[in-house]
Amino acid sequence: MSNGVTPVGHGDVTQRVGVEVIRARGVDVEKLIKMLIANAAAEFASTYYYYTILRMHLAGHEDYKEICEDARLEDRAHWELIVPRIYELGGELPNDLPAFHNQAGCVAAKLPDPPTAVNILTVLLESERCAIRSWTAICDMTFGKDPRTYDMASRILNEEIEHEAWFIELLAHERDGKSIPSGHFRRGEPGEAPYSKNRRFYNP
Amino acid sequence: MKGSDSFLIVLETPKGERSFTCHRNEFIWNAAAHNGVNLPAICHQGRCLTCAGRLLSGSVDQSSANSYFPEDKAAGFVLLCTGRPCSDLRIRTHEQLYMRQHRAKLGLPAPYL
Repeated sequence: MSNGVTPVGHGDVTQRVGVEVIRARGVDVEKLIKMLIANAAAEFASTYYYYTILRMHLAGHEDYKEICEDARLEDRAHWELIVPRIYELGGELPNDLPAFHNQAGCVAAKLPDPPTAVNILTVLLESERCAIRSWTAICDMTFGKDPRTYDMASRILNEEIEHEAWFIELLAHERDGKSIPSGHFRRGEPGEAPYSKNRRFYNP
Repeated sequence: MKGSDSFLIVLETPKGERSFTCHRNEFIWNAAAHNGVNLPAICHQGRCLTCAGRLLSGSVDQSSANSYFPEDKAAGFVLLCTGRPCSDLRIRTHEQLYMRQHRAKLGLPAPYL
């Protein structure tokens, strides 16, 4: 073995050097795949799908609606970003949508009863918090060992932290009449996703 | 000091036994953290099973957990992130793998498995 990396035969398509190098550095690849699938399920089902519904029930709060939409589209971008990595690592998505949703490590952001702005903002806030915890776990697992997954996870984590800040600001205002600024101004186009979608790699 | 609404929690962890008190309205995981006991957890919603433990004695209120089934209770599993004590407790921690396998056998949600 070279540097602890399992050799991959010339022309062998059953193994991946990209996987063996990170395994040699201590990444439990099988566990990582399961965690990425759980996070992908949370992005696609627990958040993107259910945020679509939440957004429909914010009439009269067009500002909240717009920010909910930004978070919704960025969570969809997170799903799109991470799915290819699951396959690169040798995993695959479940071929059954309900089973896939059951894999989600975060609670579905279901429409609360009653669907008041305060209740919806609370659901949104706690959904983002679970996302922060889930992506932090991936970052912890891959830092210094799997640069590619770490890069993707940290891009997503950046945006989840921004989402939490938005909903803290909005909930503190709506429910408590308090000002707890997010520190951000505005996104550009809806779903701009400045970290997970539009930041280009250096490539002269 | 243990009051009438607080209970003694004894955790059997891989690093040895740890004990502290927990108020009936406090989540066990939070009380552990406040007492310097670092337990695994991710979602803090009673969903992902990372915090799973096995209840060896006592009673736990799991009404705040998002995903907790009668079958889990019957098997003795508890979710510490959203579990509140109803009595003095003894719990074996770090049972996430076993709880996920338990769920999978029953066709119940088993994130990260």
